[in-house]
Amino acid sequence: MLKSIWELFNKEDLFECYQCARCTGSCPAAMVMKCYGPRETLLRCLNLGQEAVINDERVWYCTTCHVCEDRCPQEINISELLTAIFNLAAQRGNLPEKIKFGVDLIAKTGRSLIVNEKVLKDRQKLSLPPLDPLNIDEIEGILKKTGLNDAIELS
Amino acid sequence: MKYAFFLGCVIPVKYPGFEKATREVMKVLDIELVDLPFSCCPAPTNMKLAHYDTWLALAARNLCLAEEAGLSILAMCNGCINTLKEANLILKEDLQRRNQVNLALEGSGHCFNGTIEVKHLLDVLYKEIGLERIAEKVQHPLDGIRIGCHYGCHLYRPPRLMYPDELSEAASYVPVSMDQILTVLGAQPTQYSRKFLCCGSALGTNIDAQAANEITREKLQHMKKHRIEAVSVACPSCFSQFDRGQMMLERKHHDGFNLPTLYISQLLGLAFGLDRPNLGLGDHRISLQPILERVGRSS
Ligand code: SF4
Ligand code: SF4
Repeated sequence: MLKSIWELFNKEDLFECYQCARCTGSCPAAMVMKCYGPRETLLRCLNLGQEAVINDERVWYCTTCHVCEDRCPQEINISELLTAIFNLAAQRGNLPEKIKFGVDLIAKTGRSLIVNEKVLKDRQKLSLPPLDPLNIDEIEGILKKTGLNDAIELS
Repeated sequence: MKYAFFLGCVIPVKYPGFEKATREVMKVLDIELVDLPFSCCPAPTNMKLAHYDTWLALAARNLCLAEEAGLSILAMCNGCINTLKEANLILKEDLQRRNQVNLALEGSGHCFNGTIEVKHLLDVLYKEIGLERIAEKVQHPLDGIRIGCHYGCHLYRPPRLMYPDELSEAASYVPVSMDQILTVLGAQPTQYSRKFLCCGSALGTNIDAQAANEITREKLQHMKKHRIEAVSVACPSCFSQFDRGQMMLERKHHDGFNLPTLYISQLLGLAFGLDRPNLGLGDHRISLQPILERVGRSS
């Protein structure tokens, strides 16, 4: 069962928003994606409810720059609302392939990029220490307890 | 001074030259860096968005490794800083979360105690080492080059989590470290509109590279307007966005920006007169030649 967004974020805080759009005015994603913006997201949470928001692929246009929160005159913790939305969207299966790939790689290797022969050679040329494989049993043990695999579908 | 050196994933894999430059610069400044078996921080642009609890627990494991070594962390990447600083602060202050995380860590033999600090390279340079000691090491001043600083959002936002002790009256924070450092290196840090807005990186890596590049283009246009000659960054993702992004933009718009982008350690290394092969100068898509000639380091 999916949690309610209001267990993760205090709904009352959103009523402090007076829809001034200072957040959206600074939002880089709003500049390149029509109909996207933090003010809009916040209003949709209240008016349309969480299902409408977390099933919408546009949520992933956010660059996580946090400027919306930084400039909000009402000091609403917009970043926390957005993180809650992303986590719920991910559990619903609304998760971009590239993020899924990164998460999967972290779960399997502890790193978000692949360390191949070329990388190791480039490092050797610069006399940098090798990137030894990490203790993956330890990492897997942690992920089992946090329930990553139960929450989102990885490959 | 001695720090646990947090490499992250992007720099050691994609831009090892930045790591080399940082190690060399820190040697000159008498900072000892200790390597520990850290994992991905994990990134605020992937794991945190997918599963917060896993993000927090893996970040805690990294913090524990440094705690066990009795060292504070120095990181070179804004993503790493954003994750490790936020996790460190939350786990220091929120005992309920700390208990949850320590339960998840139990089998691994780690336990978060909240005994260390997390610092970005910029802050170690600016606040710990200090401008005077940096100035003493300059051998090739940067010839008044007009440099546009791009700090990168994850370094200081949200301010309540990144710089909780240094908030302005409006509960915000505006970084100055990079501008100040570049000034003592002999460059001319130059203001431009949208300086403190995002480069677009996470949108590009996660879903739409073209849209992200349009965000970068906006910043580049303002830089050009202010006759900026090079961009300075403190994060490998911002670097890639400005360097690779410009190459992709050029194919589409033919703007002819040609703004070389440098990671802060490279600029320090150039000014300190460090050997060129140790500065990762070959990792760039936009040619550095004009800048290297200006500072007398073209060969
Ligand atoms: S800046 Fe704050 S108050 Fe204004 S619209 Fe955005 S969330 Fe609402
Ligand atoms: S954090 Fe996301 S929603 Fe907020 S301003 Fe940045 S891109 Fe827009």
